[in-house]
Amino acid sequence: MASAASTLNETAVPPAVAVIGGGIAGIQASLDLADMGVKVYLIEKKPSIGGVMAQLDKTFPTNDCAV
Amino acid sequence: MKDGGFEMSVLKKARYVDATKCTACGACVEKCPTKVDNAFDMNLGKRKAIYMYFAQGIPAVMTIDPEKCIYHKRIAAGKKPACQNCMKACQAGAVDFEQKDEEVKIQVGSVIVATGLDLVDAKSLGSYGYGRYKNVITALEYERLMSAAGPTSGHLKRLSKDEADPKKIAFLQCVGSRDLRHNKYCSSVCCMHSIKEAILTRDHYPDTEVSIFYMDLRAVGKWFHKYRRRGEEEYGIRYVKGRVSHIDEDKDSNLVLHYEEVTSDKIAKETFDMVVLATGLRPSKGGEELSKIFGFELDEYGFVKTDPLEPLDTTVDGIYVAGYAQSPKDIPETVAQTSGAAQRAAGKVLGAVAAR
Repeated sequence: MASAASTLNETAVPPAVAVIGGGIAGIQASLDLADMGVKVYLIEKKPSIGGVMAQLDKTFPTNDCAV
Repeated sequence: MKDGGFEMSVLKKARYVDATKCTACGACVEKCPTKVDNAFDMNLGKRKAIYMYFAQGIPAVMTIDPEKCIYHKRIAAGKKPACQNCMKACQAGAVDFEQKDEEVKIQVGSVIVATGLDLVDAKSLGSYGYGRYKNVITALEYERLMSAAGPTSGHLKRLSKDEADPKKIAFLQCVGSRDLRHNKYCSSVCCMHSIKEAILTRDHYPDTEVSIFYMDLRAVGKWFHKYRRRGEEEYGIRYVKGRVSHIDEDKDSNLVLHYEEVTSDKIAKETFDMVVLATGLRPSKGGEELSKIFGFELDEYGFVKTDPLEPLDTTVDGIYVAGYAQSPKDIPETVAQTSGAAQRAAGKVLGAVAAR
């Protein structure tokens, strides 16, 4: 993490993150960032989030419903 | 931006439904006269011009497809308005045909690219007969057929006119992947999802035989090999090491597979009544478009280029990547990696968040 903010004006940068893509990766990233108190713009081109995972019937190995 | 960070314009597309009023009750959907191929169900079923992408969709707000909606099409063609059944049916007054696409400017400290995957078009793989033979389908189509919320309410049946219950199903691995003509790389998830689909099939339909034709049955993750063995020992899946070269169709819409059974060195022909293709997966076109806008590099396969020692960082400082856009991976790997990307992205902004 040492290199994370060394070249920026740490307090002047906009305090938000854009997550582009609302599938499982985008959703997880957004939740983690929100839990850290960071404002998130989750941008998804489809009318709902969920991505390909929402189309799966069940996921292994527990055979839980994907959604 | 001067002090770091990015400013971008986002096109916020109109739903033509007021999100603050819509209760997702579905009254509008019932009255809409227009039926459209449902992309969520892989075009195996229909939806309406006003719709929710899927029943449990978030946000729980209806959307009107302006390319299919009778009212929108007539207005765009300069004709008098018609229909508007949804507006009349909506008790909450949520339908708003006047809504416009909006350009929203946002400023952020960092970006995460999570643009996911597309499927290889199975029609381009001519020798398997997809698109010509009704009972050759893709794995995602199979998932929709098996799903209780899907186009057949979870009832597995053949797509040929007979609509019979399939009794002998073949799952083909590496269709369009690990293939010099299409995707050279492995899609990472298909061996496991085919085993899963085979297990679920045997669970629901114990009289149906299932076979999986594979090159390597890649079961690399935690407990994955155990799941593979469970498929064979507990559920009776037949694993056949051999790649299918081509498929013919007989007069009853059954599929005749021609393959080499590698462990016995035999060339074989076998008839099945349904074939499920585990088609290759590739990074989505959306990721490619994004790379042009933001300037981060892609590798020769279209995945976001990352350094093996910094696998979440794109070639642009402040832009990170996670999920399939970074490399082929399954759900647990995606979830784990994406938490890492969230940490990387947060590192850029937490100073500013704390200073507020």
